[in-house]
Amino acid sequence: MSRAQQANDRAAAFIIAQEDGNWNSASQAQLGAWLAESDGNKAAYWRLKHSWREADRISALGHGRAEPGQASRPARRRWWVWASVAASIIIAIGGVYEQWPQMESPSQQMAGYQTAVGGLKDVTLSDGSHIQLNTASRVRTSLTAHRREAWLESGEAFFEVAHRSGAPFVVHAGDHQVTVLGTKFSLRREGNNLKVAVLEGRVRVDELKDGRPVRSAVIEGGDIAIAEDSALFVTSRSGQAVENALAWRQGMLEFNQAPLSEVAAEFNRYNKRQIVVTDPDAAGFRIGGMFPASNPDAFVRLLHDAYGLQVVTTDSEIKISS
Amino acid sequence: MDDESLEDWFCREVLPLERSLTHFIRRNTRVADDVIDLRHDVYELAITGARKGLPSSTRAYLFTIARNHLINRAKRARIVSFDLVADLEAIDKDIDFLEAERHLDARDALRQVQAGLENLSPRVREIVRLRKIEGLDVRETAERLGIGKDAVNHQLMMGMKALADFMAGGPGKIVRPKSVGRRMKDAEK
Repeated sequence: MSRAQQANDRAAAFIIAQEDGNWNSASQAQLGAWLAESDGNKAAYWRLKHSWREADRISALGHGRAEPGQASRPARRRWWVWASVAASIIIAIGGVYEQWPQMESPSQQMAGYQTAVGGLKDVTLSDGSHIQLNTASRVRTSLTAHRREAWLESGEAFFEVAHRSGAPFVVHAGDHQVTVLGTKFSLRREGNNLKVAVLEGRVRVDELKDGRPVRSAVIEGGDIAIAEDSALFVTSRSGQAVENALAWRQGMLEFNQAPLSEVAAEFNRYNKRQIVVTDPDAAGFRIGGMFPASNPDAFVRLLHDAYGLQVVTTDSEIKISS
Repeated sequence: MDDESLEDWFCREVLPLERSLTHFIRRNTRVADDVIDLRHDVYELAITGARKGLPSSTRAYLFTIARNHLINRAKRARIVSFDLVADLEAIDKDIDFLEAERHLDARDALRQVQAGLENLSPRVREIVRLRKIEGLDVRETAERLGIGKDAVNHQLMMGMKALADFMAGGPGKIVRPKSVGRRMKDAEK
């Protein structure tokens, strides 16, 4: 447990004990000694005591249920509202600029790209940046002279961003936005979870709440960041893992001792015929190596021939059991 | 400077800056898990320093301490990212002077407490409510809910900490002792 957490827990315990009737001079002396130990202890105690005292205000509501406050958690979809507001602001600015012909033409260019299951698509944007879309992915872009934006609506994409001073490149993905500081990186989105793998340069990942960043991390070449709900994990210096995560660009899937359940899920992103692992023993089987994403048959043959797993193939499924 | 005036200063002038301070630390550190510990350090340094005399501008004082602390820590770290240090050296003007502190009137404050309560899990919320509105103590709460006193104490502590975070503008989520983030970090080692 960290120092701050420890101090917080002790402070909270003291405050509860103080309210509880059995508080005596010995307890008071104990509190005094603990506070004298460090100013950090004082900070924790004063802070909790203050807000706990503030919370007394609800006693003004009297007996009965407290009415739910309005400021409960924001809807998941709120971000999209924000995005459309932002987009309309950009369009509005574009319109204003056209009134000043002496300015360089910041006309806005918007486009959308998508791939089907198993697809792989290369896109070159008008600013010279490249986007490579992986299987079942959707990206929208909006470019002006002053701001470049992309929205990863689903799936995974690799970005190679051409440097333009004065025109930042921002990728939005649900509750997160990634600001490019000149780089090559890939983004993978599953619902609100996001995985960022940086090949070169740096990016900044912001978690947004009501359109405002509440948490940020700078990710460098060789780093992977995983954002899940409101947690952001950064793995540093994992160059090999970045390479693995980018193998799809060559139409390959690369695994380093990944469980079969994960490998199957990965293949299933690229193929309509799904691999189903039917028992936990088989699901925990560790797989390493590189396989063509579009050819699960070769992969399951290997499972059968080399590892003796049972394989039953139908038109829609490949069932694997131990 | 006696502790009573220090406490008064801390609650009146430092705590309203918590939201900006947390935001500032978060923006300038790579490890999200460290933010709370760093903030704790900054508070500690701020109190120690103010004992000799309260600063004329608490905001400038607090953020200068935060900035120096982050720089020292980055320099002490075994693997130093030069970019990080460079970024920190440049943040003088980056300090968020635009973000207004939240001066709340009584009605805002009540609304904020209510919102903080709403954010708690139903069990913890009920226990805080019994304590604050019905005025029950730990023993009475335990009897009313048919659970142990230790459980009441534990949940009350969680509620108190989550409320403090929420009221200072943080997430106000209950932090369980063993978080996923910590497990992931351990697994990396």
